[in-house]
Amino acid sequence: MASLVLDQVTKTYPARGKPAVLAVDRLNLTVNDGEIVGLLGSSGCGKTSTLRMIAGFEGVTSGSIRIGERPVHMLLPKDRGVAMAFEGYALYPPLTIRDNIGFALLRERRPRAEIAARVGEIARLLEIEDILDRYPPTISAGQQQRTSLARALIRRAPVSLLDEPMSQLEPQLRAILRARIKDYLIEHKLTTVFVTHDQTEAIALADRIAVMEQGVLQQFATPQALKEEPANLFVASFIGEPPMNILDVRPADGGLAVLGLDGRPAFHVALAAPMTARLAAHARQGGLKLGIRPHRVRVGDPRGLAATVVSNQWLGDQTHLALDLAGCFLVVVAHGHVRSAIGEQVPVGLPLAAMHVFDAESGNALVHGLDTREAAAA
Amino acid sequence: MTTPRLALDRLRKRYRDTVVLDDVSLEVAAGETVVVCGPSGGGKTVLLRLISGTSSPDAGDIRIDGASVLNLGPEERDVGMAFQNFALYPHLTAFENIASPLRAHGLAEAEIKERVGSIAALLRIGHVLGHRPRELSNGQKQRTALARALVRGPGVLLLDDPLRNVDAKLRYEMRLELPRLLGSFGSAVIYVTQDYKEAMALGQRIAVLRGGRFEQVAVPPAIYDRPANVEIARLFGDPTINLYPCRPQAMGGGTIVELFGDRLPLEAAAGGLAGRDVLLGVRAEDVEVTLEPVPGAVPVELDAVTPLNVRAVLYLRTRDGKELLATVAEDEAPRFGRGHRSVWARVTPDRFLMFDPASGARLLPVAA
Repeated sequence: MASLVLDQVTKTYPARGKPAVLAVDRLNLTVNDGEIVGLLGSSGCGKTSTLRMIAGFEGVTSGSIRIGERPVHMLLPKDRGVAMAFEGYALYPPLTIRDNIGFALLRERRPRAEIAARVGEIARLLEIEDILDRYPPTISAGQQQRTSLARALIRRAPVSLLDEPMSQLEPQLRAILRARIKDYLIEHKLTTVFVTHDQTEAIALADRIAVMEQGVLQQFATPQALKEEPANLFVASFIGEPPMNILDVRPADGGLAVLGLDGRPAFHVALAAPMTARLAAHARQGGLKLGIRPHRVRVGDPRGLAATVVSNQWLGDQTHLALDLAGCFLVVVAHGHVRSAIGEQVPVGLPLAAMHVFDAESGNALVHGLDTREAAAA
Repeated sequence: MTTPRLALDRLRKRYRDTVVLDDVSLEVAAGETVVVCGPSGGGKTVLLRLISGTSSPDAGDIRIDGASVLNLGPEERDVGMAFQNFALYPHLTAFENIASPLRAHGLAEAEIKERVGSIAALLRIGHVLGHRPRELSNGQKQRTALARALVRGPGVLLLDDPLRNVDAKLRYEMRLELPRLLGSFGSAVIYVTQDYKEAMALGQRIAVLRGGRFEQVAVPPAIYDRPANVEIARLFGDPTINLYPCRPQAMGGGTIVELFGDRLPLEAAAGGLAGRDVLLGVRAEDVEVTLEPVPGAVPVELDAVTPLNVRAVLYLRTRDGKELLATVAEDEAPRFGRGHRSVWARVTPDRFLMFDPASGARLLPVAA
């Protein structure tokens, strides 16, 4: 397959009587050969415009796109070597599902036996074998979406583009289809870019995720790095379900004072002098925020602080808790079944290594993981 | 026994030849939240329409505090509603939207002000009461719709998938806040959703509505651990429960089952199942995956790793060609890389669920 490079790609849409709308702003993105990349963001963030520019359905306003060594941004979609699954499915109504899926291979004049084998394989993978002889209008939205996916994946094109590929899928099929699709993409080393607003889907499928907001790339990193080293407050509070706890803090003697909802100091995070000084210097230019992910809070840590259970929800395989920690509201996820009732006290440990500090003004991350060596002796 | 706030008594409803609700009964106490959960087309929306009075049942009764309300119009029933699409009046401010049910009941201006103010404070929208809907964020719209439904302190509150159209952050906030909020009003709450996690988080009880019938009504852990049938087991769980056709056999005084090319001993309660076909269910979190062999584990191929929130789903293929989904904690996932390698999997027979392949009914664990 091939690598894909976006170099300073910009897209503006003219707006009558108003300044042009900047949909994508100087986007740089390198997708390695065989890599699976997700474009993630809320509606209007520029992810779909980006995908359509790669496919060739939209022109670039400026910048360039290369597939392999070849600049493609001036080429017609059919000449770019891309296969796309559309969010609107775009199936041919007069053709059966089988012929819709095999259409591109037929046009490439592949042997009939090979086409039949590949259609069979992809239909089995996506669980649409039983509808191969039906026509698009007679099948459900979820089945149409799987057909559209099959039609793109079967081609094993240099670059596969998938637009919201699983938005209509039946929830009971999601986990298994994600797994099979990822297995297929890896096995055939398909360079893939997909667009989604659903972070669960992005995290499940992607090797790396480009998080976009208002046309600007916020961070391009592995799912793990987005969680452990979010570049800014936007990424920190966008990635993760439930999202990261973000608390107000201010420098205090020997560390940070964490502020409760009423703005008063709730508890103290002890830090060594150099880190305290560093954060205090930042705080003089603007406020600070402290982040900690829900599943990094340790419930039942005997050396922890006492928190009151506000809400306790057991989901069958994990517990979601809301805790009041001296006036701070914390969301916590535990893998086991925590049985504490509402109103009960539980001790919670907040590991320094799991804390992130952000500049409240710019939103930029300052520190990921306050090193335990920097913690002052209690 | 005390009279339930809301009683649905053998409700039936059909449209043309299709039975939409078939003998549906449920009692909801004041202050209780029952989540009605099920796939689309199961009858959830019709049920809400019957309770609110915008549609009438063909048979059966609906009682609020013991008195039938079938002869009352929607306005006369003590029922409040909030929908997934907010349905706010676009030309009215948030304040007037919330106040509208109170005005319809002719409350005095001072009392309206006080009631709207206090519910707005509770829902943290006090600062946007002067805004019109288009000036509100989705979260604020949703809170405004909820405030309007709650402001009258209705005896029965119907919530139709209210968190469907809000972003993940707000959804989690509301999920954690709602139980306390709903409890403080003393209404009998019917909350409709398709999302099993939301159902487990919010329901004191869950009523699973499929094909027009309540197939199971129980507390959330009971639905998850002892689903009445295989379809409920498939609805409650992410990833979906692994299912395999099997036939337990008597062996050496006990019962065993062949799975993934291995023989696994079953607990004593499975004795009655020897020799009959069953559908064996293994939840993903009950599969233990290791890089090195451990006693009782079978060799499997790891074909893909797909992280899922605070866990990761491992997509495994067994020696006998079956697919097996397992989950591990997110922190352990990096050990498994991108997949495409050999690993070991161990299942715990005392966590097995078994179902009748024909009827779908649960056979194991046996009813308590």
